[in-house]
Amino acid sequence: MAEFQAAVYQNEFLPDGGTDVNAIVTLTCTGAGVAGQTGSGAAGEIIIIDNSGSMGVASMEAAKQAAQAAVAEIVDGTWFSVIAGNGAAFLAYPHVTAGPGMVQMSASTRAEATTAISQLQSGGGTAIGTWLDLAGQLFTSVPEVTQRHAILLTDGENNEPRAVLTAAIGRASGLFQCDCRGVGVEWKVSEIRRIAEALLGSVDIIPNPSEMAAQFQAMMRAAMSRGVSDAQLRVWAPQGAQVQFVRQVSPTVEDLTTRRTTVNDLTGDYPTGAWSDESRDYHVSVRLPARAVGQEQLAARVQLVINGQAAAQGLVKAKWSNDSELTTRIDQHVAHYTGQAELAQVIQEGLAAKAAGDEATATTKLGRAVALAAETGNHEATEKLKKVVDISNEKDGTVRLKKSVEKADEMALDTASTKTTRVKR
Amino acid sequence: MSACPHCGEEIATGANFCEGCGAQLGDVSQEAAATLPRVNADVAVPVSTPTMRRTDPPDVVATPRPCSECGGVVSDDGYCDTCGAKAPSERDHFVEAPSDWVAGVCDRGRAHPRNEDAMALHCDAARAVLVVCDGVSSSQDSDVASLAGAKAARDVLRTPLPTGIGTDAARLAAVTKVLGEAAEAADKAIEANTAAESANPASATFTCAVVEVDGSSAIIWVANIGDSRSYWVPDAGDAHQLTVDDSGAQLQIAAGVSREVAENSADAHGITKWLGRDSPDIVPTVTKHGVDGPGWVVVCSDGLWNYASAASALAAQVHAHMPNPPGVIADALVAWANAEGGRDNITVALARVGANVVRKNDSLTPQEAHTNG
Repeated sequence: MAEFQAAVYQNEFLPDGGTDVNAIVTLTCTGAGVAGQTGSGAAGEIIIIDNSGSMGVASMEAAKQAAQAAVAEIVDGTWFSVIAGNGAAFLAYPHVTAGPGMVQMSASTRAEATTAISQLQSGGGTAIGTWLDLAGQLFTSVPEVTQRHAILLTDGENNEPRAVLTAAIGRASGLFQCDCRGVGVEWKVSEIRRIAEALLGSVDIIPNPSEMAAQFQAMMRAAMSRGVSDAQLRVWAPQGAQVQFVRQVSPTVEDLTTRRTTVNDLTGDYPTGAWSDESRDYHVSVRLPARAVGQEQLAARVQLVINGQAAAQGLVKAKWSNDSELTTRIDQHVAHYTGQAELAQVIQEGLAAKAAGDEATATTKLGRAVALAAETGNHEATEKLKKVVDISNEKDGTVRLKKSVEKADEMALDTASTKTTRVKR
Repeated sequence: MSACPHCGEEIATGANFCEGCGAQLGDVSQEAAATLPRVNADVAVPVSTPTMRRTDPPDVVATPRPCSECGGVVSDDGYCDTCGAKAPSERDHFVEAPSDWVAGVCDRGRAHPRNEDAMALHCDAARAVLVVCDGVSSSQDSDVASLAGAKAARDVLRTPLPTGIGTDAARLAAVTKVLGEAAEAADKAIEANTAAESANPASATFTCAVVEVDGSSAIIWVANIGDSRSYWVPDAGDAHQLTVDDSGAQLQIAAGVSREVAENSADAHGITKWLGRDSPDIVPTVTKHGVDGPGWVVVCSDGLWNYASAASALAAQVHAHMPNPPGVIADALVAWANAEGGRDNITVALARVGANVVRKNDSLTPQEAHTNG
């Protein structure tokens, strides 16, 4: 049985007249078990492979191997199917034309799926919206599947109008989770990140087709370890208070503020998707009406809710004090993740400016990123930044844009921008 | 249920004796009475031999009161579900009002995170017991220990003080012994609530006043360890501090330093005697005071007298809130100390000598008692 624990890191002391309370809530899950086997409904996995014409022979072969590696990781009994996507979406496996579009994993279905994948051929365009829609239809064709997860691989830019993809993402949101991977350098990070963020999944670049199989294996293994099918972050704030933002800050930065669904006047739920044995950090910021010095109040109750039941609760408090030694301290967790969230933002903004030819802005933003990465000890970000800029002063963030940059390095910096490091304890 | 005609304690139907004061109740046959333990407040009891000790029933777990700020529901985690205000815990602010002439308020104050002051009161027909303990905040568990200590002392003093064998000296000796036992019981209770491995054992001050009222005059027995205080505040005439602090300030005053200078010195609040496992001396200083004419016995912690140390200053605060029932005055004094800054926990217990002007509407409701906060 999965168990959750909550820990709150904050400076609860506010100066006279102070209103803003920031806290990092760490939620840790243990005993999650295996997807679909914890009695809370069956698990379903869909593998979506881009087989558009842009996939060269090498990429297509690697993609097939990757899909097969993923199929091999799916635990027996799990419902699954394979979609091949180009200008439209095709059900590559199982071979059905009506009724349930998924089958349960067994030795024989695994063999059949592996064969079906090996027969895929490339051709046509890229219409990712149609792929997402077919995945949604397949998931809903098997009502007992309540934990829904997909892996999406693409190599190129989407051919659909933006609004069409946006609508498809909207239909998929809340229905299934989706981890996305881009192979090569012809796909658009911002586009795929939009899908992954909305569908509570990860996004990454696979620069070399040969790394694909290992990545798919790892992704599917991670999905299979998520024994807690769905959980919400529930945030209560007192009357008159305003929840300024709620964001996941570890392992990646994901702003959840706009994903709120109302529970009651004072309470909202934010989606967190499925959980394995893992730990995630959330940054909650609340603005309160100030109280008199000496008063204490609750600024937020942060719960992880599963099937309507709170599995863990953290209390965010506010105490007004005259003691400036107490009130001026900034909690190191809050400071660290505030820096990391800004780091993600300036990397993305810097790369966007660079792509638009605005070198001045790009230099400022990426310079700031270098300084933040150093400050918060995010060595992975520093390494990736070094491939895009020459650093003359890490602390001040004095940098020059490199004259020639590998496109893949720039994309890797972009996709990894939201990855955070934890506070050293 | 009915009330004891002697002390007002609630009496179970069919009971032959009052659980509070031991008075005989109803028509009891000579034979039946002879077989029952004979305890009577009006009859002299053997010197310093407790004939009946009663411990309190287990503390009732308070049902959650609505939020004191917005009236909303208070959640299990102690915060209001609507406005988020922290609900004061029972320990942070409590009131005792055993009769219409005895009451006290014990409050966390503003600055301290918890209430380490404690208070336990008792009263019967013409006798009030006021016990105040101030837990030393540098020690662990002192909030739990101080309350256990105050209650233990109060329980010893539920039995009327011995009348001695006739002479004043004999009575003083007998009463001194009983008050010493009360301090000892408090000390034992404090130690019993100290974790064995504690490097910083719980400790507390101890002050208690037993007021034996006879019409508009009274005898006040006072026992003291540390720097909580008892005062006599007459309605007219000069007020007096009845206790002498066991404190750094008092040592300086004894050496000739002025009260004002001494009480503002660095070690003014260092106490030289206390109760607890590491206490070298738990024998209280016992004094007897005869008072004539109406007035108030005030027992308080330094959370109050810090803002009104001189007896006249304290008397001014008491007089400012007269006429009122004791609970209202105690509440007002706590509110005043909080308004002055509430730098420490605040406890005020009062017993009236002589008729109180206010004799109507004088039973405090919990709501009224919690207006401060």
